[in-house]
Amino acid sequence: MSTFGGLNTAYLGLTAAQQAINVAGQNIANAGTDGYTRQRIEQSALSAPVRTGLVAAGVQPGQGVSVDGIARLGNSFLDAGVRSTAAQAGYAGYRSTELQQLEGSLNEPGPSGISTALQNFWSSWQGISNNPGEAAPAGMLLQAGTTLANAVSNGYKAVDAQWTRVHGEAQSTVSTLNDAAARVANFNATIRSVTASGGSANELIDARNQVTETISSLAGGTVRDNADGTVDVFVGGNAIVSGTSHRDLALAGQTSMGAPGAPVQLEWADRPGVAVPLDGGKLAGAVSLLAPAAPGGAGGAIAEAAASYNAFATKLMNDVNAVHRTGQSTTGATNLDFFATNPGAPAALSLSVVPTSAAGIATGSPGSGALDGSIADAVAQIGTGQGSPDVLWSGIVTGIGTTSRSAQQHQQLADAASAAAVGQRSSGASVSLDEENISLLTNQHAYQAAARALTAVDETLDVLINHTGLVGR
Amino acid sequence: MLNRVTTQTMAAAAQLNLQAGSAKLAALQDKATNLTNITRPSDDPTGLANSLAVRGKISAAGQYSNNINDGNGWLTTADSALGQATNILNQVRDLTVQAGNGSLNSTAKEAIAVEIEGLNNDLLAQANTQYLGRNVFAGSSDSAGAFSNATPPVFNGTPGSTVQRRVDANQTVRVDADGGAIFGSGATSVFALVSNVVADIRSGADVGSRLTALSDSIKTVISGRADVGVRQTKLMSAQNSVDGLKASLEVQRSGIEDADIGKAVMDLKLQETNYQVALAVTAKTLQPTLMDFLK
Repeated sequence: MSTFGGLNTAYLGLTAAQQAINVAGQNIANAGTDGYTRQRIEQSALSAPVRTGLVAAGVQPGQGVSVDGIARLGNSFLDAGVRSTAAQAGYAGYRSTELQQLEGSLNEPGPSGISTALQNFWSSWQGISNNPGEAAPAGMLLQAGTTLANAVSNGYKAVDAQWTRVHGEAQSTVSTLNDAAARVANFNATIRSVTASGGSANELIDARNQVTETISSLAGGTVRDNADGTVDVFVGGNAIVSGTSHRDLALAGQTSMGAPGAPVQLEWADRPGVAVPLDGGKLAGAVSLLAPAAPGGAGGAIAEAAASYNAFATKLMNDVNAVHRTGQSTTGATNLDFFATNPGAPAALSLSVVPTSAAGIATGSPGSGALDGSIADAVAQIGTGQGSPDVLWSGIVTGIGTTSRSAQQHQQLADAASAAAVGQRSSGASVSLDEENISLLTNQHAYQAAARALTAVDETLDVLINHTGLVGR
Repeated sequence: MLNRVTTQTMAAAAQLNLQAGSAKLAALQDKATNLTNITRPSDDPTGLANSLAVRGKISAAGQYSNNINDGNGWLTTADSALGQATNILNQVRDLTVQAGNGSLNSTAKEAIAVEIEGLNNDLLAQANTQYLGRNVFAGSSDSAGAFSNATPPVFNGTPGSTVQRRVDANQTVRVDADGGAIFGSGATSVFALVSNVVADIRSGADVGSRLTALSDSIKTVISGRADVGVRQTKLMSAQNSVDGLKASLEVQRSGIEDADIGKAVMDLKLQETNYQVALAVTAKTLQPTLMDFLK
């Protein structure tokens, strides 16, 4: 060891303590920063130089401390757990929100719902059965019929508007997703060059992690780490980010609920026509809601609700008209329709009342007196039958209610899982102020002690240089 | 929990717990304010189906009540008209007996004949009685009166066409009376009979032979009135059963939809206390760090 080797050892101790204090400062400064992962200085002791040659003898102490790097104390498995639960929570949360919106548009139970309108409608038929041909009960009936038809078409319109809104949200989610993929690719490039030049990319990795989490919650992406510090992100089995390049996704298919065209699906922009199967995320929720109605109610919830409205409108029209046609009005007209729909438009949207006055309402059975009310009574009785429109409507409401309920339960579970995963990760990665205080304290003392060692060497040398060889002077 | 605990995880856990607590509080507050179990279909899908069915029945029962009230008006009108008709026919019969007295001179007989003619018009007016613009004795016919103004008056109603009121899901009650059966029509009608009596009195023929026919007519009218009375009784009992039905349906509806007020308030109070405790505990746990003790 050279004469001044002790000075250098003490100096290395000073800088290491300083670095550690700086890192503790950075941790404390970011204690509340979203996505920040705590860091720690990695240091190792420098061993004594290997002695070679003829005079290789004697024991030497080590040469001080080396700061090897600043470690980021993250755990990629916990990160993966956060991402996969975020994908589930994104899917379940979106579906739950939209299904609650859907059941809200039913207005059941309540005075503005279709069930109340139906009850008033059937009561009005009793009213006109009691007083056939009179203007007041006929007006009541026409009013109740129009209210019912409006309630059905308003319900259908609300569902249609919801489909359009969900589709719009899915569109903007896709562009958010593409934007996030581009940002991950940019981060990859920066991190690769920083790592290659030996710098610390910890903060950049934190930021990139946040973006990949966004991708997961939107489209359920999975992440694979590469040796050069970059990550690949996979969506539906294919890479949306690969190193420093990314691929765009696009939303294809019908653009409004009634429009012709293929079902809404997610595709790679450079491979149109092939659906990307998503395994979670808000987009998967949106695409599942936007699916067209299928036999057996297996389609998307929104289109199924619209189909239910149409089925209800058609059944109401057919049931009422079937009885109404067998009757005659007070003016003797027969084969009259009460409800009509436009064949070119959805039944629920175009349901309308045909008669405009008492003369168009068939109240009596042909052959009896003009003021007979038996057919009106028979129409009123439709509502109490086994397969009545009321029962159909109640089934529709119950079905949507059940779907919404199970989606809400799914959301609660997924949220709990997501919160647990985030909790586990932050338990490892978040900054503990107590720990940082101890680290500060330790390193402050280490710094002071290193300075003391420096002084000791200095004083020793002082003795050697200034006070040696002066004997007898 | 063997996990590492930091101020951040503590804050996050506290926030999560507080959020859950306040969400629960809001839900209970909502329930205590509305006092309904079902505000949206997903609250209780099966309960909602029952509730819709019961509400449908309540609405129908309300309409049956209206029908019964309307039917009652019809039957009351028919009843009083037939009562009047019985009185009139009894008077006619008395006058006919009087006219059969051989000691009367022709002037007195003419006076009786005129009086009976007047009574015949009154009888026709009773047979044409209306309720809210509808002929009570003409069934579902829309003619101006139950009997025409011809001599003798002809029944205008359609045979077999009745006016029915629905009193419950399975039953209707007839609320008109068959004018054709009670008063007859044309030459066989009670009006023709009375006209014949008048003619007999004027011509001096023996009216005694008409008395039997008159008695039969009175009996017919009385039995028609009895029939109306029977149906009115039926309506009354239907009214009672509809009232009972409405009450029991309302109990059912309330059982399905309405929240238990005591339970709702208790739950709310309990959750309020829980939430306040959670707030207080959170405020305490998040305060100290090592910083407070290092000098």
